[in-house]
Amino acid sequence: MALYVLPIFLPLIGSLISGVLCRKLSDRQAQVITCLLMGTSAALSIVIFHNVILDGNIQQIKLFDWISSGSFYVDWSIRIDELTAVMMFVVTSVSFLVHIYSIGYMSHDAHIPRFFSYLSLFTFFMLALVTSDNFLQLFFGWEGVGLASYLLIGFWFKKPTANAAAIKAFVVNRVGDFGFALGILAIFLTFDSVSYDIVFNAAPDISGTNFVFLGHSFDVLTVICILLFVGAMGKSAQFLLHTWLLDAMEGPTPVSALIHAATMVTAGVFMVARCSPIFEFAPIALSVVTFFGATTAIFAATVALTQNDIKRVIAYSTCSQLGYMFFACGVSAYSAGIFHLTTHAFFKALLFLGSGAVIHAMSDEQDMRKMGGIWKMIPLTYVMMWIGSLALAGVPFFSGFFSKDIILESAFAAETGLGQYAFWLGILAAALTALYSWRLIILTFHGKPRADEKVMAHVHESPKTMTIPLVLLALGAILSGYFLLPMVSEYHDFWGTSILVLPEHSALHDAHHVAFWVKALPTIAAVIGIGLAYYLYMFRPDLPPKIAKTFRPLYLFSYNKWYFDELYNYCFIKPAKYLGYGLWKQGDKALIDGIGPDGMANAAVHIAKRAIKLQSGYVYHYAFAMLVGLAAVITWFLFSRS
Amino acid sequence: MISTLFLTQLQILINEAMTEFSAPDYLPALPEIFLGGISLILLTIGVFVGNRITTLLTWVTSLVLIAAVVIILSLNINDQITFGGLYIADTFGTFMKCLVLIGGAITLIMGMSYVKNEGMKRFEFPILILFATTGMLLMISANDLISLYVGLEMQSLALYIVAAFKRESIRSTESGLKYFVLGALSSGLLLYGATLVYGFAGGTSYEAIGNIIESGDLSLGLLIGLVFIASALAFKVSAVPFHMWTPDVYEGAPTPVTAFFAAAPKIAAMAVLIRVLIGPFYDAFDQWQQIIIFISIASMVLGAFAAIMQANIKRLLAYSSIGHVGYALVGLASGNEEGIRGVIIYLSIYMVMTLGAFGCVLVMRKRGQMIENINDLAGLSRSNPPLALVFSIFLFSMAGIPPLAGFFGKFYVFMSAVNADLIGLAVIGVLTSVIGAFYYIRIVKIIYFDKPKDSFDKPINIEITATLTLTGIITAFFFAYPSPIISGAAIAARSLLP
Amino acid sequence: MIVEQITFYIFAVITVISGVLVIGSRNPVHSVLFLILAFFNSAGLFVLMGAEFIAMILIIVYVGAVAVLFLFVVMMLHIDFSKLRAGFTRYLPIGCVVGIILLVELILVLTTGTVDFNIPKNVISQIPNPEAISNTEALGNLLYTQYAYLFQIAGFILLIAMVGAIVLTHKKRNEVKKQKISDQVNRDPNTAVTLHKIETKEGGTWKSD
Repeated sequence: MALYVLPIFLPLIGSLISGVLCRKLSDRQAQVITCLLMGTSAALSIVIFHNVILDGNIQQIKLFDWISSGSFYVDWSIRIDELTAVMMFVVTSVSFLVHIYSIGYMSHDAHIPRFFSYLSLFTFFMLALVTSDNFLQLFFGWEGVGLASYLLIGFWFKKPTANAAAIKAFVVNRVGDFGFALGILAIFLTFDSVSYDIVFNAAPDISGTNFVFLGHSFDVLTVICILLFVGAMGKSAQFLLHTWLLDAMEGPTPVSALIHAATMVTAGVFMVARCSPIFEFAPIALSVVTFFGATTAIFAATVALTQNDIKRVIAYSTCSQLGYMFFACGVSAYSAGIFHLTTHAFFKALLFLGSGAVIHAMSDEQDMRKMGGIWKMIPLTYVMMWIGSLALAGVPFFSGFFSKDIILESAFAAETGLGQYAFWLGILAAALTALYSWRLIILTFHGKPRADEKVMAHVHESPKTMTIPLVLLALGAILSGYFLLPMVSEYHDFWGTSILVLPEHSALHDAHHVAFWVKALPTIAAVIGIGLAYYLYMFRPDLPPKIAKTFRPLYLFSYNKWYFDELYNYCFIKPAKYLGYGLWKQGDKALIDGIGPDGMANAAVHIAKRAIKLQSGYVYHYAFAMLVGLAAVITWFLFSRS
Repeated sequence: MISTLFLTQLQILINEAMTEFSAPDYLPALPEIFLGGISLILLTIGVFVGNRITTLLTWVTSLVLIAAVVIILSLNINDQITFGGLYIADTFGTFMKCLVLIGGAITLIMGMSYVKNEGMKRFEFPILILFATTGMLLMISANDLISLYVGLEMQSLALYIVAAFKRESIRSTESGLKYFVLGALSSGLLLYGATLVYGFAGGTSYEAIGNIIESGDLSLGLLIGLVFIASALAFKVSAVPFHMWTPDVYEGAPTPVTAFFAAAPKIAAMAVLIRVLIGPFYDAFDQWQQIIIFISIASMVLGAFAAIMQANIKRLLAYSSIGHVGYALVGLASGNEEGIRGVIIYLSIYMVMTLGAFGCVLVMRKRGQMIENINDLAGLSRSNPPLALVFSIFLFSMAGIPPLAGFFGKFYVFMSAVNADLIGLAVIGVLTSVIGAFYYIRIVKIIYFDKPKDSFDKPINIEITATLTLTGIITAFFFAYPSPIISGAAIAARSLLP
Repeated sequence: MIVEQITFYIFAVITVISGVLVIGSRNPVHSVLFLILAFFNSAGLFVLMGAEFIAMILIIVYVGAVAVLFLFVVMMLHIDFSKLRAGFTRYLPIGCVVGIILLVELILVLTTGTVDFNIPKNVISQIPNPEAISNTEALGNLLYTQYAYLFQIAGFILLIAMVGAIVLTHKKRNEVKKQKISDQVNRDPNTAVTLHKIETKEGGTWKSD
C-alpha cells in the first residue's frame, strides 16, 4: 500500500518542507530535498507502471472517509489502474526532469525554495487528479493544479504582465471549471453518487433518459458530458477558451514545459478518457468533442505560423496537439489520444526546455527575430531541438509519428462527416506543424546573427543540470512511440477496463486497416511542410515578408490570433467593466451600502450601547434579571397552557 | 397525619434499599473514582510539601486528566446504570467527558506560566481544577436529580474558589464573590425545580420522571419544575437572561481560569441540559422547545450586539461565548438526533477555538504585565506574524467563515434547525452571526491594519506555543478530515435518543 | 388531629413571618436572631412530620454553629448596613411586583396539580411499623447503602469548601512570632553563634558583615 500512496504524497511533503521553511533552508537544501523526493516518487511510479501494466495488478485503496452528509458520501481513495499508471509515469518522470532542469535554469533567482515548493505542490495536485477515485477528488486535483499554475505563472509577481497573465489564466479557467462543477452536480443529481464505480456502472441504464428544462427535453448523459467537456476545454486550452495559454508563457520556462505543455493541460484529455464509460453513451457530446478538437488543431497551427516569440510558437503548437488528442477521443479512439498525450509530453517538454536553453544562452531573449546563426555555438541544444521537432512533425520512427498517425487514421476510419472534417484538417495542421517547427529552427539557429555583439559573445551551452534532462527527454521523444505502441495495438488489451469503447465505435480497430494513402498522407504532409520551411526561410528569406504583404489581411488575422483577445475584450470585458462600475456606484454604494451595511452597522452600534447599559455590575441587578426571566417564562407557560 | 407521611416515604425508600441492595458495579464509574482518589493523594502531597511543587503538580494533574480520557475510552461502556440508578455511563457521556477532560488538561498546561508570573503559584490551584473537572464528570453521568445536584455543586464550589484565586486582586475576588452569590441563586432554582418535579412525578430518577411524562401525565407542576431546572442550567451555560454574571466573572477571574470557565464547565453544563431535556423530559418536547428557542434567540442576539462596543478582550470573549451558547442551543431546539449531533459538533469545535483564543490572550503581556485591551493588539501582524495569523484563524473561525472549523459547527446546527422546520430560528442565527462577524473581524483589522504599538514580550513559552499550534491546526484544517468528530458526535447523539 | 394541625399552622406562620423580618429588620443582629427563630420553627415542623433526627441536626448545625458564626461576623466586622440598603426602598416596588407574580404563579401551580406522595407504585413490599425502627437508624441504613454514592460526593464538596476557605483566607504572616520546636532543637552552635574580635574604642562604630 505504501508503494501506491507514497509517490502521491512525497511531492506534497517536499513542497511543504521547502515552502514552510523557505526562509530557513538554503537554496541548495531546498533543491536537494524536493528533487530527491520527486525522484523517489518517479522511481516508485515506474514500479507501479510495471506492476499495473505487466502484472495487471489494479488497486483501489481507501485512505479515509472524507465527507458524509445524508446520502452524499465521499471517501478519499486512490485508484490505480492502467490509465492512472500511464499518467503517473508521465507526470512524475517529466516533473522530475523539470525539477533537475530548474536547478540550472533558475540558479540566478532569489526565491528558489519557493519555486521548488510550487513545482512539487503542482505535481502533488496533478497526481491527486490522476489517482482520484471519485469526481470530487478529481475536482480537488483539478482546482489544485489550477492554483499551482496560477502561482507559477505569477511567480515573478513583480512583473505586471506576469501578474495579469496569472489572473487571466485563473479567470478563463474559472469559466471552464464552472461548467465542470455543474457537470459534477448533474452527475450527483442523476446518479446520487460521485464515485466512479457507481457512476460508470449505472451509465448504461441512464442512457436515453431525458429531462425537461425550460420546456425543452435534453438527454441527461449528453448534457453531463458536454458540461464536463467545457471544463476540459478550459483546462486544456481548447478553441474559445484557449486565450490564457499564450499569456501563461510569462511564467518561467520550466513551468511552461511542465504545466503548460506536458501535464496540466492534458488533464482535460485524461478526464475525457477517464469518463469514457459516460461519453460512449453520449454520441452528440462525442461529436462536439471531435469538432472542437479538430478546430483547435487547425486554428492553433495557423496562428503559430506568424508568431515571433519562440515560446509562443511552441505554446500554440501545444494547443494544436491537444486538439489532436481531443478529436481522437471524439472518435472513440481514447487510447490513441492518451498515446499521443504520452509521446507529446516527452517531445513537447523537450522543445520547451530546449527553447529555455536557447533563451538562457541568448541572455533571456525570446524574440526569434533577434536570434539566428547560433547553431555552432550550442550544438547540443540544436540537436535536441531537431529531435523534438522531428517528433512533433511526425517524421517516421520518431515517437510523434506513431501517435499522430494512429489518430489521423482513426479519424478517417470513423467514417463520419465529422471524422472526415477532423482527418483533413488534421492533415493540413500536420503540414503547418512541420512548417512552423522548421521556421522556428531556422530562424533561431541559422542565418546571420541578428542579436547584438554583446549577446552573441555570451552565447554558451547550458550547464549539465539543464542538458542532462534534455538528453533524457530526447531519448523519450525518440523511443516512447515505439515502446508504447502496444497502447493502440489491436493485439494487446493494454487498457483493461480503464477505458470503455462500445463495439459499434470501432474507429481505432478499423484504423489498422485503412488504405495505404491514408497512412502515408501525414508523413507526406510533414515532408512538404519541412521542405516549404527550408525553401521559404533558408533559401529565399526574402519571400515571407512579401507573402505577408500580399496577403496582409490573412497575415494580420493569424498574427493577431484570429482577434480572439480583442473580441473577448469587446464582448465580455468592457460590458462587464461598465456593468460593474455602474453597479458599484449606483447599486452598491448608494443603495445597498446606504441602507444595508452602513445603515445596519450604525443601528448595531446603537443597540450595542444599550445592551451594555444593562450590565451595571451590581449583583442584585443580575439576580433580579434572572428572576424576571424566570417569571416571564413561567407566565408564558401558564397562559399558553390555559 | 403529616408525621406518617414522612415516615411512610422513608420506609418505602428503606424497603427498596434493604431488599435490593448489593454492592454496586464500580467499573462504569472508574474514571471518576480514579480522579477522586488521585485528587486526594495529590492534596495530601501538596499539604506536606508546600507550594514549591506547584509546577510538578500541575503537570501531574494534566497527565491525570489525560489518563482519565484514556480510561474512559478504553472502558467504552455503553448504557450502564449503576449505584442504584444514580449514575449512568453511555457513549454520549463518554464523548462529553473526553471534551471536558481535554479542555481541563489544556487550560492547565497553557496557564502554567501565568500562574507562575501572577503570584498564583499555590498547589491548591491544579487540585481545585481537578476537583471541578471531577464534579463535571459526575454531573454529566448523573441519572438522578440528586446526583445531578451534588455533581453540579462539586464543580461550582471549586469554580467559585478558582475565580477568586488571585486574592490580592480586587477584580478576581469580586468576580469570585459575584459568581458565588449568583451561583447560589441558581442552585436554589435547581433545588426548587427538583422538589416540584419530585412532588409531581413521585421520584427523582430520570426513569421515574420519564415514565410519568411518557404516560401522558404532564402536569403543570412538572412543567414549572422543568422551567426552574432549565433556568438553573441555563445559568451554568450562561444563556440569556441568566448570563449576567458572565462578562464580569470572565473579566475579573485570572485568565487561565477564564479559559477553563469558557471551555470545560460550559460544555459539561450543556451536556447536562441535553441529557435532562432529551432524557426524562423527552416527551415534553413541545413544551421545552419553546424555552430553548427563546433563550437561544436571546443569547444569539445579545452575544452579537453587546460584544461590539467592548474594549476588553476577555469581556468580548465572554459575550462571544454567550453567542456561541445561543448557536449550540439552536441544535437542541431541533430536538432530534441530527440536532443533538449538531450541538455536540458545535461544542467540540467551540472548545478548540476558545482554548486557542484564550491562549492568544495569555500571550498578551508587555514588560511583564498582562494586558487585556483590544487596541493593544494593533500591529501584531508585524511584531509577531505567526501569532497574528493564528489569532486571526480563531477569530475568523468564530465568525463562522468557511472553510474554518467554526463554519462547520454553525452549518450543522442550522441545517438541523432547517430540517426541523425551525427556519425562522435558523434565519435569526445566520443574521446574528453576520453581526457577530463584525466584531471578530474588527479585531483582525486591528491586528493587521492598525499602526503598530510596541510588541508583546517574547519569547512565547513552549506550552502556549504548542497549544496554539495544535488548536490552530485543528481549526484551520478541520474541513480536510472532519469525520472523527462528526461520526463520534453521531454515535453519541444516537446513544442518547430513545 | 386538630392539635397537630393547629401546631403546624403556628410553626408555619412564625417561620414565614420571621423569614420576612430577616430581610426586613434594620439591625443586622436582629436579622440573625430572626433567622435563628426561623430555624427553630422549621425544626418544629420537622418534628411534626416525625423527622426528629433532621430537626435536631437543624438546631445543632444551623442554630448552634452557622447562625452563631453569623452573629460573630455581623458584630465584629462593623459593616455599614444602612449604606448597603440604600437602594432598598427604590427597588422595593418593582421587586415586590415580580415577587408577588412569582408567588401567585407558584400557588396556582401547586393548587392545579395533585401532589401524590405514593407514586412509586412499583414498591410492593409491606411498610413496616414505624415504631419498630428509629429515625436515625433508618436514615443511616439508607445513607450508607443506597445513597453511599451521594454521601461520598457530599464529603468531597465539604472538602472543597474547606480547601477553598484555606486558600482564600489563610495568610502566612511573617510579623507573628511562632514557636517551632523542631527548629529550636536543631539549632547548631556553630552556625548560631559567631565570635568577633573588636578593637578597643571601636565598639561604637563596628558593624557585623
